[in-house]
Amino acid sequence: MPRTIDLTAVKPYADHLGDGLVQMSFTLPVPHSLAARKAALELAGRMGFEEPEVVHYESLTDGYTYFVMYGRCAQAVDFTALQGEGFDIEYMSEDEVERFAAEHIGRKIVVVGASTGSDTHSVGIDAMLNLKGYHSHHGLEGYHSFETYNLGSQVPNSVLVAKAIEVDADAILVSQTVTQQNLHVHNLTELVEMVEAEGRRRQMILACGGPRVSNELAKELGYDAGFSKGTYPNHLATFLVRELAARVSECSSPS
Amino acid sequence: MLLSELTSSARRLALVGLAKNTGKTVALGTLLRELEADGRHVGVTSVGRDGEERDVIDFRIEKPRIDLPGGSLVATTDGLLRASGLPHELLEETTIRTPLGRVLIARLRGPGAVEVAGPSAAEDVRAVADAMLAHGAEQVLIDGAIDRRAASSPDVADQLIISTGAVLDEDIDEVVLQTRDAIDLVRLPSVAESSRTRELANTRDATTSLLVEDHGEPVALAPRFALSAEAAEIGELLDANRTAHSLLVSGALPDRFLRDLLHAVARRHRELDVVVADPTRVFLSKRGPAWYRRQGIHIRVLNPIALSAITVNPIAPGSHHFASARLRSLIEAALPGIPVFDVLDPSYPAAELLAH
Repeated sequence: MPRTIDLTAVKPYADHLGDGLVQMSFTLPVPHSLAARKAALELAGRMGFEEPEVVHYESLTDGYTYFVMYGRCAQAVDFTALQGEGFDIEYMSEDEVERFAAEHIGRKIVVVGASTGSDTHSVGIDAMLNLKGYHSHHGLEGYHSFETYNLGSQVPNSVLVAKAIEVDADAILVSQTVTQQNLHVHNLTELVEMVEAEGRRRQMILACGGPRVSNELAKELGYDAGFSKGTYPNHLATFLVRELAARVSECSSPS
Repeated sequence: MLLSELTSSARRLALVGLAKNTGKTVALGTLLRELEADGRHVGVTSVGRDGEERDVIDFRIEKPRIDLPGGSLVATTDGLLRASGLPHELLEETTIRTPLGRVLIARLRGPGAVEVAGPSAAEDVRAVADAMLAHGAEQVLIDGAIDRRAASSPDVADQLIISTGAVLDEDIDEVVLQTRDAIDLVRLPSVAESSRTRELANTRDATTSLLVEDHGEPVALAPRFALSAEAAEIGELLDANRTAHSLLVSGALPDRFLRDLLHAVARRHRELDVVVADPTRVFLSKRGPAWYRRQGIHIRVLNPIALSAITVNPIAPGSHHFASARLRSLIEAALPGIPVFDVLDPSYPAAELLAH
């Protein structure tokens, strides 16, 4: 049993370091039965788990069975190769963001947001921008230091860019459900290219969000940051005030 | 002729794909090996991220690595350079931040694979390319990302290679059609040197769009007109200026505006030149420039793009594939005068040499 953590081979941890134990839950569309239990065990084996174990299973509804399982993960990742990639930023609370913005920016930060193109979901953008926010975290609308415009869903990129220029936005925030279909990706790249075509790319911070958006994807799409599940408005706010403060200090530095 | 020979005069060469997985990175790798065999030192940057092991959206797709010879210059983030483990000389720490970290410019002291993620904004790409040229690179290769075109602007690059492929559609004719429309867009004709529109573009404030006629003052349009004008406003503008022949658009030219303009122009039995700075300012969706041209809207540019070659990838990962020779000959027929390559096909002159 290893006592020190080997960061070149990191695995899940449950009872002791390196045991690789994973707890997972899923539902199979089969009736609650011993055969269902066998199916779950076989599936976990095919997922690559060693010593899979069903610790709980129950009928979800007629013809569906819900499982909780343990399994031993044989794989490991080299964490040392991943460190230093991307922002490892420490997030500020709402109050800290307000104080930081007052000190380093000293004016309202203008943010325009929308779900672009054919995306009908505005949940992500509403959670980030609207006063109500989510999980009792205010959206940016509730911050003193932000002025927000939420254009809603299915907004054409040209309309979004026009609004951002009209209100002299510091940042554009878009949410989009990215799937394997190129269409969704195209909506996101088109926005970046339109801001470029208007000659505004360096003046505007572009951030995108969605269930599958990572910093790696954001980089390929041409955005300054990408936000995924688990992002709260204060995370976005932290990024925006820090990035804007960095830009302000670059502009005022004498070089 | 080889890709590298065709593009040897370009100090800054952009590679742009019409979609993900059209073989852009493979074309880049081919160029790199040809230039190495020729003893030329190059600089490499990417507006996205290149040389990553797996596709960022579909993890089932493995991506080609980028192997750089020793002595190459590269613009990438501090973290990715460190992760490459390659010995290097740091030439410049830029102030450019990306979602993956700050961009550095370095010279590799030995050969190896590097993930390349340089600046994204066109202006920053140009600055980094020029910095690498100043540090001794003989040519800078600018890799695009996904379907982004901004790096192909003549403000950034001197020449362009476009990659297309089976991934665009399961129907080979549709791939050819989409490729033709995209290339038509890249090759939009220039405005005549002596025209009134060009004269105005050279002398007027570049941030204002103008409606131009040969005699009399041009009409300045409301700010953001091409981004947000409604069909009625476009009609009123045309009616108030019955002899106007050109519209000089200062920024982006979106499809939505072009469609409304098309209806307004057609209803009045007129024709109109629509002029933009360069092809990267034009955003078309379903219809290509030829479709607009047939109905009286002629899109022209002040600064054209020099397109050097097209590369094709006849394989759509995890889906279908076409015969390489057939795809190439169909594209050549649709776009006469542009060399078309499949750098992995045995017919490519350097295929044997490059196959290690």
